[in-house]
Amino acid sequence: MRKFLAIVGREWRAYFFSPLAYVILAAFLLMNGMIFSAIVAFLNTPGAPKGQALPFLFTNTYFWIFNLFVVPIITMRLFAEERKSGTIETLLTSPISETTVVLGKFTGALLFFLTLWAPTIVYVLILRSQTPIDLGPVAAGYLAIALIGAYFLSIGTFASTLTKNQIVAAILAFAMLIPVFSAGLLESLSNDPGKRDTLGYLNLWDHMEEFSRGVVDTRRIVYYLSATAFFLFLTTVTLSAKKETP
Amino acid sequence: MPASARFSTGRMIEVENLTKRFPTQVAVSDVSFSVREGEIVGFLGPNGAGKTTAMRVITGFLPPTSGTVRVAGYDVMTRSEQARASLGYLPESAALYPEMRVREYLAYRARLEGVRGPDVARRVRDSIDSCLLEEVADRKVENLSKGFRQRTALAGALVHQPPVLILDEPTVGLDPTQIIKIRETIRLLGRERAVLLSTHILPEVDAVCDRVLIIDRGAIVAEGTAAELRSRLAGSPIVRASFAGQIAAREPLAGLPGVTAVSEASADGETRVRLECVTGADPREDVFRTAVARGWVLRELVLEAVSLEDVFVRLTRHEEIAPAAAVISHSAEAAAAEGASEEIPS
Repeated sequence: MRKFLAIVGREWRAYFFSPLAYVILAAFLLMNGMIFSAIVAFLNTPGAPKGQALPFLFTNTYFWIFNLFVVPIITMRLFAEERKSGTIETLLTSPISETTVVLGKFTGALLFFLTLWAPTIVYVLILRSQTPIDLGPVAAGYLAIALIGAYFLSIGTFASTLTKNQIVAAILAFAMLIPVFSAGLLESLSNDPGKRDTLGYLNLWDHMEEFSRGVVDTRRIVYYLSATAFFLFLTTVTLSAKKETP
Repeated sequence: MPASARFSTGRMIEVENLTKRFPTQVAVSDVSFSVREGEIVGFLGPNGAGKTTAMRVITGFLPPTSGTVRVAGYDVMTRSEQARASLGYLPESAALYPEMRVREYLAYRARLEGVRGPDVARRVRDSIDSCLLEEVADRKVENLSKGFRQRTALAGALVHQPPVLILDEPTVGLDPTQIIKIRETIRLLGRERAVLLSTHILPEVDAVCDRVLIIDRGAIVAEGTAAELRSRLAGSPIVRASFAGQIAAREPLAGLPGVTAVSEASADGETRVRLECVTGADPREDVFRTAVARGWVLRELVLEAVSLEDVFVRLTRHEEIAPAAAVISHSAEAAAAEGASEEIPS
């Protein structure tokens, strides 16, 4: 556990040693600031339905674009950087299991991802001081961000073990995230009820809307967690296999 | 040394019939040796001989194709974590995280190696002291010179005070003063630990190691103390002679009893020959008689002492590397084969 925490701490801090973290953070705050001002403008319209604007924070198009681009950038360095520089050798010859290494790095990335979201809590507090807000859906929205974030980050972590080149790792992650994200969008294109159900199960956009309305469906949670576990398992397997070609 | 106390043999590194095959080549082939507690063993070989691969297998970074490796009594494959906990490894790359400060990096390494919270600061201080890093302890790794980076990596390998140290070219990139200091550090560490260090610098072996393994093309071709290797190869002596004028000395001299190979070079109105001989032979008198019989004017006739360089060069020279020395190289391979059959424990 101490070793796990050592890795988590190093990974999380490593982000702030590169300018990338600040660029992402700034872009993210700019995007959310714009959305927030749109929400405020919406609420200022006479007759606007009170308490229903906040879900926009989670269900807008920017949210998805942001995740699809930023997650690969967060995860690209995790293993690719260590393999390129050679530090992977000392890391993997320390008395730590590969699973712990993978979980530690993944958790570090997830913490950084959540750090990006932390400032948005201020928006919620500002709105709350002005208009009644139901905190249930807000909590559900943040839960969904953490779960979908974990799912996407696990895919990115996996991609990072496939190459020594960080850019290639980012592109691979992006290429894997696109089908994961867009499979559900095919739901509306299908007439077959069986297919529609299956695709609906994968429709992240709809899931996010449900969550932000406060609907916490355990099937969704099971889907995200099992998919995350699956990709982290793949990461561990790849990491062991890649030792053959250091 | 708590880990070593459990093993009465004191053999901290045991390698048995280790073979490591890559898709395109055999990097290590049927290598066996052991390193005891309190012993510093030098792994000597030309670049690409298989030193780094062998070390990567011993540290558990690469799985062996066949054979077994035990570190502090633990098999590196089946009890990998215990084995890894017993060793400190300085890889060839000496790679570090550039954004971390030296002290911070060492603390991180200590935690990864399982050092407990309260002990971390003390262990970090000790390793900073022993690797002479005091003046840069709070600097970022990316701003350090190559020498300091190398020492930081070495400090990282020994921060948890492991009973076994595996050091892949520990003095690369250091200036002469630093080399002397780091060698002193390694010698000190070797008093109560098992140290396996690789190098292609011959004086390093003389200066630091208790025993030498010469590895070439994946196989151990000789093993022993530096003095042993010297005397064994001194036993197969080399005679140098030079004659006035340009003469064809090779043929007649190669026929002398005890001579295994002759090389010849003419320059400045002088012919120099070099005779390699079987162990115990001294063909100097025969050379003199041949010269007299053929009317050659002998200018110089010497029985040479063998340096460690000679041992190394003779054991590792290949025809493809030194085509000009083809005449000698077949005997070098004979010596290599001889060394191999004598020295590799079965």
